[in-house]
Amino acid sequence: MSWRAQGLRTWLLQRLSAVYMLLFAVSFGIYLLQHRPIDYTWWSDLFTRPAVVVASLLFFAALLYHAWVGVRDIMVDYIHDTVIRFTLWILVTLFLIAMGSWVSLILLSMVEI
Amino acid sequence: MRFQIQRYNPETDKTPYLKEYELTDIPIGMMLRDALLQIKAQDESFTFRHSCGEGVCGSDAMNINGTNGLACLTPVSKLAEPIVVRSVPGMPIIRDLVVDMSQFYHHYRAIKPYLIVHDPMPEVELRQSPEDRDKLDGLYECILCGCCTTACPSFWWNPDKFRGPAALLQAYRFLADSRDQATNERLQDLDGPYRMFRCHTIMNCVTVCPKGLNPTAAIHKIKTLMLKEMI
Ligand code: SF4
Repeated sequence: MSWRAQGLRTWLLQRLSAVYMLLFAVSFGIYLLQHRPIDYTWWSDLFTRPAVVVASLLFFAALLYHAWVGVRDIMVDYIHDTVIRFTLWILVTLFLIAMGSWVSLILLSMVEI
Repeated sequence: MRFQIQRYNPETDKTPYLKEYELTDIPIGMMLRDALLQIKAQDESFTFRHSCGEGVCGSDAMNINGTNGLACLTPVSKLAEPIVVRSVPGMPIIRDLVVDMSQFYHHYRAIKPYLIVHDPMPEVELRQSPEDRDKLDGLYECILCGCCTTACPSFWWNPDKFRGPAALLQAYRFLADSRDQATNERLQDLDGPYRMFRCHTIMNCVTVCPKGLNPTAAIHKIKTLMLKEMI
């Protein structure tokens, strides 16, 4: 088996993205709970920190990748017409890329380096 | 006791339909297979596959009140009435409860269900330690009844491409065998989006297996083996 093994690689990356999302969500949640009450200044300050922004960017990357593979899985299961499936998959991919770019723009506009 | 049995004659019927039967003589411990034999005595045009009558041959897999199982191992007293019996889902019906299992066997053949040895064959048999032999428990017992594969939604959607739980359990049976030397080829063959990775851990296979086997666990072990091979 090599890293090029497509089925295994996709499956593994989807699992890893889930693990990262879980770790991020739990630790971020705990962090927020420790800093109650949360106000606007505190929140916007938080996202000026490069570490927080990088961790959040990774979270959204994992989320979008996870969704991308998941939606593809559903389409491979249910849509057997290659043309329709391919078209839908391109649309989903474009949508996820748009979402990814948008969230990156927001996060990167806040960070102070 | 009331029964609704799937009937289908390709020469006269467009689609399968349910036909009502009534049995009055129900001895204690009667299995569904015995009941079907009584129904067949009432109505000779009805047919179903069966042979050993004790869960060894795997011929009488059918869908009983919505769940796949072997008629010979299912006591009628445990079933709610009317007892609805259909052929296993997802397989082309030949007649009544008899289905065409070609697709199922095709996948079984495709995983090469035999030992592959590259070394020169020994003069005597291929030896195996008792510990290594133990690793085949829970795998070799499969009777290829098809209950699991025909209960698997992933198989319903992609019957031509997804190997299905039964074939994958057997794939692992040979991967786990200390005498087999084709680990890498076998794993390579199962890669790709369809053959094994269509499994979404739905676990219908585990629920229905009349031999109490666990194809989902076997599939998981194949994935673990793939990971080990990769690293
Ligand atoms: S794993 Fe169980 S259900 Fe599946 S074919 Fe073998 S005996 Fe039948």
